[in-house]
Amino acid sequence: MASSVLADSRWIARGAERTSLPQFLLWLAPWAVVLAAGVYAAGLCLFYGLNQTNMDNRFAFGLWIFLDLGMIALGAGAFFTGFLVYILKRVELKPILNSAVVVGFICYSGAIAILMIDVGQPLRAWFTFWHPNTHSMLTEVTFCISCYLLVLSLEYLPILLRNRQLRKLPSFLVFEHQLHNLVPVLAGVGALLSFFHQGSLGGLYGVLRGRPFAFREGFFIWPSTFFLFILSAIASGPSFLILVTAAVEKVTGRRLVPQELFRRLGFISGVLLAIYVAAKSIDTLIWLNVTSPSVGFAPWQYYIYKPFGTPILFTEIVLLGLLPAFLLTYPRSASRRRWLLTAAALACAGVLLNRFVLTVQTLALPTLAFDEFLQYTPSWQEAASFGGVIAYGVIVYSLSYRYLPLFAQPKGQNTHVPGN
Amino acid sequence: MKVTRRDLLVWSAGATAGLLFTPVPWKLLDDVSIWSQNWPWIPQPTRGPVDVKLSFCTLCPNGCGMRVRMAGGWPVGVAGAGCHPVSRGALCPLGFAAHQLNWHPRRLSRVCYRGNTSSWGEARVAFTKACGEGPIMIIDGHPGRAASSAFETFVQRRGSYRVVPGQETRALAPYGTWSGIPAAALGYDLENAGTIVSFGAPLLDGWGTPGRLTRLWAERAAGLADPQLHLIQVEPSFSRTAARAWQYVTIRAGGEGAVAEGVARVLLEEHLVPARGPMPSLTLVEVAEQAGVSTDAIRDLARTIVARPPVVAVADDNNPAIAALNVVLGAVGARGGIVRRSKHIRQDVCAEAAIRGMRAVLIDSTVPWDFVPQTDAEVFRFAAWDGGSTKADWLLPAPGFLEDLTDVPTAPTSGMETYAVAPSLAEAPTEVQSAAQFLSSIDPTLVTVDKVIHTRCSEIFRQRMGTLWGQDVTPVAKFVSVQKLEEELWKGAVWIGEPHHAGGLRCQLNDWPEAIGPARTSNASPPWLVPVLPSLASKLYQESGLRESPEGRSA
Amino acid sequence: MSARYGMVIDLDRCTGCGACMMACAAENNVPPVPRATPRTGLTPMLVRKVSNGGEGVDRREVFIPIMCMHCERETPCVGVCPQQAVEVDKATGIVMQMPQRCLGCRYCMTACPYHARYFNWWDPQWPAGMEKALNPGVAVRMRGVVEKCNLCHARLHSATQKAAATGKREINPADYVPACVEACPTAAIRFGNLADKHDPLSLEVRSPDTFRFLTRLGTEPKVYYKSKEAWVRALAESNSGSGVETKRG
Repeated sequence: MASSVLADSRWIARGAERTSLPQFLLWLAPWAVVLAAGVYAAGLCLFYGLNQTNMDNRFAFGLWIFLDLGMIALGAGAFFTGFLVYILKRVELKPILNSAVVVGFICYSGAIAILMIDVGQPLRAWFTFWHPNTHSMLTEVTFCISCYLLVLSLEYLPILLRNRQLRKLPSFLVFEHQLHNLVPVLAGVGALLSFFHQGSLGGLYGVLRGRPFAFREGFFIWPSTFFLFILSAIASGPSFLILVTAAVEKVTGRRLVPQELFRRLGFISGVLLAIYVAAKSIDTLIWLNVTSPSVGFAPWQYYIYKPFGTPILFTEIVLLGLLPAFLLTYPRSASRRRWLLTAAALACAGVLLNRFVLTVQTLALPTLAFDEFLQYTPSWQEAASFGGVIAYGVIVYSLSYRYLPLFAQPKGQNTHVPGN
Repeated sequence: MKVTRRDLLVWSAGATAGLLFTPVPWKLLDDVSIWSQNWPWIPQPTRGPVDVKLSFCTLCPNGCGMRVRMAGGWPVGVAGAGCHPVSRGALCPLGFAAHQLNWHPRRLSRVCYRGNTSSWGEARVAFTKACGEGPIMIIDGHPGRAASSAFETFVQRRGSYRVVPGQETRALAPYGTWSGIPAAALGYDLENAGTIVSFGAPLLDGWGTPGRLTRLWAERAAGLADPQLHLIQVEPSFSRTAARAWQYVTIRAGGEGAVAEGVARVLLEEHLVPARGPMPSLTLVEVAEQAGVSTDAIRDLARTIVARPPVVAVADDNNPAIAALNVVLGAVGARGGIVRRSKHIRQDVCAEAAIRGMRAVLIDSTVPWDFVPQTDAEVFRFAAWDGGSTKADWLLPAPGFLEDLTDVPTAPTSGMETYAVAPSLAEAPTEVQSAAQFLSSIDPTLVTVDKVIHTRCSEIFRQRMGTLWGQDVTPVAKFVSVQKLEEELWKGAVWIGEPHHAGGLRCQLNDWPEAIGPARTSNASPPWLVPVLPSLASKLYQESGLRESPEGRSA
Repeated sequence: MSARYGMVIDLDRCTGCGACMMACAAENNVPPVPRATPRTGLTPMLVRKVSNGGEGVDRREVFIPIMCMHCERETPCVGVCPQQAVEVDKATGIVMQMPQRCLGCRYCMTACPYHARYFNWWDPQWPAGMEKALNPGVAVRMRGVVEKCNLCHARLHSATQKAAATGKREINPADYVPACVEACPTAAIRFGNLADKHDPLSLEVRSPDTFRFLTRLGTEPKVYYKSKEAWVRALAESNSGSGVETKRG
């Protein structure tokens, strides 16, 4: 037993204090159970087909698409932080960069895993590269997401290779060094790819001419949701990083980054959120007054079906948009950790609500005069796969935190905070 | 020379790059693509030469004309045959999937004796023994077929022959009683009617020969501002027919007879008809109360229906009040009304549910599943599909759809006499036998179905009457030989008799008929006789919610 | 010459019997999957019942067969498919779905305003031995792909072959009639070539009683409907929840 603990400590970075291996395994155990359930559920869906879900011909997209859109939005912190650090030279954000890359990697790989279960013929997924329809937003999404996952993997690799044991291999060290030199380029490529797929995910719904609730006019070939999705993703990404880091701090009982960094991220998030809220409000007004009436759909009818009333619109824009934007930028609230975290959580909830409304309400609303409003409840298989992805994220992050230098900072700061 | 790791790496990279310039990876990719597009476990239709044959639907006695697409010797598709002068290219929804019925999960494929597997040999022994011990009864669902002839011949010295008439035939029973002409010889001359008042009959929903009325309605009534045919539906529920009728009168359930009486009273009181028959016993107020409609509505209805003569009332089942209304309207034996279509038809005796004094009862597969005899006799029931619980001792698997040669006599509601032959197009499973084949195996001297068909063809040829409707319309008189005529009939032509004799039917009402029992509660589903629907039909109706599956028929 | 195949469905003639659904399903080898629900089954042709919400004598009902409308302009499902499994056939105007190319992402289903696309949620199954009774002209679709009405393209294919065998380039219109059109007992569903000025259908679509559903979306569907009843015509563009009572099917 003791030797196994010793064996484990050889892998942990020098000077880093980590909990004992049994305690760490105890922490992983429940997540592993959730992951196993998720893998089992996903296996059912792959083996028996999508009849295992509660999706149907009207609700052709369900929980999983919402999950994909939400995760990819929250994972935007990775590309955006890289962009800020390497392109805009905001080096003060560097301590959080590694963590951001891991979060991004988890979000994107999780999203792609779920997508592979979600399509009816996963073995044909590569047909998109073989016979791409260049007019489809989904083609753009598929190309950019898969390329960006590759970029994220390349960004993750140097972090992985900096593990204490792996560093001992000289060729790995050289490779890591080479990769490290490449990172600014990767950050640039990642930013470009992310810009397009975040936008295309928004465009996915914005182009749906047949769904007036989602359809938006736009600029050139891109509907307004294209830009709104980019904005909301980069606004909520930093907030999500704050939340993740704070959660890790809570779990490990350590201060991992300077409080100032939180405030910096929060400010960026808040400013972008404010811009997003303004843009979203203008877009909503144009949509309600021009776009939707022009195809003969009275705006009120989108909101007559409960629970999708106007309160949901108010919540999305004001409670989960304007309010956190204010809290994140107003110095007095932003300087208090509790307020800052609350505001970050609200911002993330806002972007999730936006994705939920766009994916679920769009499909629930009737189009023909004699259609009815439909409801859908995910099956346990869908929920379990969802849970599995979250567990996968927690496990990958925990392993990365334990064995890799996620929060690289000067010695002495990575210390135990009494009473936390 | 020593091979270093570096050499290996360089060599691998070069090989990979080089491989990309060969067709190998691309061919493999293509193969993977093709493989992932064609799972070997997906059922594939059998290929074979495609051929179209004319035949007739035998699921109910109406015998609609069908074009059957055949591939590899099996029916793979059904469509209406436009050359059929009665069904006119239309089929009821079931017909389109009828060829799939033979594979229905409830298809019977083995002889069953009281729930246990038995054999044809044992069934034959049991039936022969019963024939020797006492009288037997054969019950037929589609009388008038060649098989019916065989049944009658078989029971001549052994017992009795009974029929189970369909709803449409039962609705004609009162005229039969009053005129002395068998109801099976009567029909409706709907083609010449100006107004059809239906008392709950699902006229646009599978009534009679389904295509006949729908085609007529589509041509002369549907969507026309001033329809030449007024279709008035009197019914408690807002049925499919009610939804599309020119006028819909909503009544209380079971009030059909009362409304007929009320209308007749108004017609007589206001001298809207020439008849001076007996006055109905119910007063208008009583009618209004029983039927749940206002007296004004009844007056209006009476005036409306006579506005576009000729008028005929159609009952859903045996209802003497509605038949009497037709007498008052002068629709019996008149153009556009109830007509006598055939001259030579024997009066069949209807089967009662309670059967006494019989040693055995043989029920043909054409008898609807809901006919369950109350008897202590040994029951031999033929059926192609299991319709659920039955009291039959012997359950004998019969040929399914298009698996057996049969002829198609005149449809119950038809205004013209017709005759057709439906040859077997699908190979029957080895375990099945029709009732006629079973009887032949017991009594080898019994006349066979093909012999009866031949006799009937010869009779048609001998009389030199009527016309043959196939690829062309040919008068029978033009045929030079009976073989030629028979050949045409076997290829799917329909023989049409001489036009009906409107004057051949007279009904005199001395008293207004007693109302008999409460009318059946209105039947929302069409009078489909098969005990099970094609799986496709059950699924589509369930998935679309368009119809409720007939209760207890397809579980 | 390229054709533009379309339909006019006369709702005043539709009795809601469902023969079109049945003929369509039998022609296109739709499997009667026992476990499919009304929301996961395959009904490329779906007859829906709509009432005006009235009671007693005021009550009116209409049956509306819904199928792929074969939109002509900015066809919603074509642009969204990531791998070109959907296309508008330029020679016929038919919106074609290629099940062999489809990966089952269902994006096209969310794009279709008519809900006329169906996903194969289940493995296709028939009672043992029934493959013999399947239509040999139409391939069975596997689980996990989207399908929809293709105006019985297999029939067009055999009509083209028949014409080619006799050395003709144009098909005989009588040889190409979709199954639902052929099956309709009241001839409520009419089919024809809208590009042909002499086709009766081209005249019929200009009738004031003719309408299409959701033309305001600008997709130019080629399936027209027809009714003399104003409340039925009003269904074309009215908003849902505006008083009509509906029932699935």
